[in-house]
Amino acid sequence: MADVVLDKVVKKFGETEVVAGIDLTVRDREFCILVGPSGCGKTTTLRMIAGLEDVTAGDIRIAGETVTFKPPRDRDIAMVFQSYALYPHMTVRKNLAFALELRRVPKAEINKRISEVAEIIGLTPLLDRKPRQLSGGQRQRVAVGAALVRQSGVLLFDEPLSNLDAKLRVHMRVELKRLHQQIKSTMVYVTHDQVEAMTMGDRIVIMNAGKIIQVGSAMEVYERPATRFVAGFIGTPPMNFFEGEIRNGGIALGGDVQVALPRAVEAGRKVTLGVRPEHISLHAGKPHAAKVPSTVEVLEPLGNRTIVTARSPAGVLQIEAEANPGLKPGDAIELWFDMSRAHLFDQASECAL
Amino acid sequence: MRPLVAPTAVSGAPPMQRLAFFEREGPFGYALVLPAILYLTAFIAYPFAMSIWLSMTDASAGASKWNYIGLDNYSKVESWELIANDFVIFDGDKAEAQRIADQHKDEGKVVTAPDGDRFKASLQIGSHTIPVVETNGEDDATYLATTILNDLDWQVHGGKVVAHAADSPISFGTFEKRGDANDARKKSVLVDSTTHLKANGTGVQQDPNFLLAVKNTLKYTFGTELVKLFFGIPCALLLYKKFRGRQLLRGLLVIPWVIPIAISGQAWLWILDSTYSVINWLLVHAGIISPANIFNFRGDANLAMFSLVVVNVWRGFPFTTIVILAGLTSIPDEIIERARLDGANALQRFWYVMAPMVRPILMVSLLFSVVFSFTDFNTIWIITRGGPYDQTQVLSTYAYQVGVNAGYLGKGAAISLFLFPIMVVTVFGMLQWLRRENM
Ligand SMILES: Nc1ncnc2c1ncn2[C@@H]1O[C@H](COP(=O)(O)OP(=O)(O)OP(=O)(O)O)[C@@H](O)[C@H]1O
Ligand SMILES: [Mg+2]
Repeated sequence: MADVVLDKVVKKFGETEVVAGIDLTVRDREFCILVGPSGCGKTTTLRMIAGLEDVTAGDIRIAGETVTFKPPRDRDIAMVFQSYALYPHMTVRKNLAFALELRRVPKAEINKRISEVAEIIGLTPLLDRKPRQLSGGQRQRVAVGAALVRQSGVLLFDEPLSNLDAKLRVHMRVELKRLHQQIKSTMVYVTHDQVEAMTMGDRIVIMNAGKIIQVGSAMEVYERPATRFVAGFIGTPPMNFFEGEIRNGGIALGGDVQVALPRAVEAGRKVTLGVRPEHISLHAGKPHAAKVPSTVEVLEPLGNRTIVTARSPAGVLQIEAEANPGLKPGDAIELWFDMSRAHLFDQASECAL
Repeated sequence: MRPLVAPTAVSGAPPMQRLAFFEREGPFGYALVLPAILYLTAFIAYPFAMSIWLSMTDASAGASKWNYIGLDNYSKVESWELIANDFVIFDGDKAEAQRIADQHKDEGKVVTAPDGDRFKASLQIGSHTIPVVETNGEDDATYLATTILNDLDWQVHGGKVVAHAADSPISFGTFEKRGDANDARKKSVLVDSTTHLKANGTGVQQDPNFLLAVKNTLKYTFGTELVKLFFGIPCALLLYKKFRGRQLLRGLLVIPWVIPIAISGQAWLWILDSTYSVINWLLVHAGIISPANIFNFRGDANLAMFSLVVVNVWRGFPFTTIVILAGLTSIPDEIIERARLDGANALQRFWYVMAPMVRPILMVSLLFSVVFSFTDFNTIWIITRGGPYDQTQVLSTYAYQVGVNAGYLGKGAAISLFLFPIMVVTVFGMLQWLRRENM
């Protein structure tokens, strides 16, 4: 059992509050992703769990035990740093063995664990090299390996893939996910890449400005974003937003565009309408579809589909169309919003309605 | 922009035009390094070659002509002197040994008798007759035996009586040929003793002051380097920690390094003064020493050497500290943090992680400061001038003394060139080590 509990954790650097009282429970053996824009406090949160940063207020518990004031080495935690933090003067083998030797694990056990881990992540042929003789991807794997041999209850990752090229990143994503299924550790993984966030974890914790905005599975946060921030943060291309007001059972958007709403909302309320690009169609036919006249501005063919950027009286928007929509810039088109999949947010509070 | 290197001609393409003079890299490159080459030639290569040439001549100040004399300045043996000490007079019963040692001055006498064409001198002590010396001349034999009997310190070790010369060992004669000296070594001393052949000559290798200077140079260099590291490492670790006033302290630290020794040397001269030394004043006023026992820092050979090392450490350790500090700060925080997570305590983090990562840069700094101390002239010249009585002469000051002050240019050059092979070997060894470390 190695669940991680953050209880009203606050972190201040001087006067600036970087983490503003967060509550979070990461369940045993869960793969939990912390995601959010740059500077929102993800790394700080992770470092507080590791004990590298002290906590201004609140409590941290690991496996039921309060560790708030314990030094890092007494927390049963291993961490993979963004820069990998390999010891440059040690061979790969020594890098893996170091923590175990310090903990006086018997030699035979160390060797056994190293060869196991090396096998799992494909380091066996590299064991006698120094870090500088490795490629970026190999170093990254050594860093993961050094964390794995510890067999600690909790594994922390701070953007471990952000220094890799796109292809290797996709590959490592899958590998890490597979790894999680093989080992018994609880994993907390920090990223600001929303694709990593969506694909890798059991649960996603979305942070912004030092607060947790929403916690849920990938599908939950995608389908039911709690705030406009989450809605805009999750999904590519991002959700289209239109400011408007509830009037006559529908929403009056800018430029005299009026769309009908499938559910009742009190009249006069200022709202933001959010529609994902894949929920806007070039063709009529769906129930609850609202028509918005627009002009094509840019076409971005991706092979299997095309991203169309268009200008409507309510604002610029992006839609996902089929591979060959037969359009060219300047074409006047009619767009159909699938209002049953649309999201409404209160303009003042930015919360979902 | 035109490419600076002509691409190989592709068939069909017109041949590349020859680059205009000012667009070629070669001439420009040479133009850039020309001042450096001139400088190195005029101020390093020429004087160096000159001093090699000088060291092989009998050049002296005022002489109108220099004669080539080969390596005579380095080493020229003119005679061999047989030196002996620690004569074992008696080896046997303990009580008897003690009796002999106690009574040799009162009871002992020297008896010299011819022995073939030579003379043999024996010591008669009580019932013992002990032959000690055999020489060609009667007086010589008597004189040497009398010296052993009367002037040496007779000590008892177990059952042995050993006559020991504390100040200067006894000379058994000077010989032109080494073989003769070796012969005498076998024949002249009739009791067990430690003998060696001393080369007398005009080369610097035969000059006892030169040998002392070599010893002093090594003492000065390695003494200084060890102490510098001993203070530099903790000092760097201290300044590595974040605390209020750290920047100020770092700034203050380099003061000894940036003050010219000609200036700070004056302060040290006062601190080490024989009458007005502030250290003595403090010690006397604190009641630790009496005014009669004050330290004569520059007057006592060992204290003078010690003082020189102190001054050099004071001057050089900021540099060591700064270099180590630079090494420490270049270690990424994340590596230290990982070591903490891995379970290393402060000492283990230093020993297993920080020290090995700082080591290469530390070696570079060591290399610099070894060269610096090894060739240092200023500190010694200002503080002791090699004194008292040449006891703190190092190679550089001694070379100056002999070459410039005494005017024996050739010999002075030979002394200063003696540094060179030692330096080359040291530097080469250290560089080799560094290269291996960086593999
Ligand atoms: N040691 C520090 N002193 C002062 N402010 C800090 C310190 N460390 C971080 N901060 C501030 O805290 C905020 C959160 O930093 P943090 O590193 O946690 O962000 P992050 O979410 O990890 O961002 P990124 O995705 O860019 O890594 C930032 O505004 C940062 O400037
Ligand atoms: Mg970060």
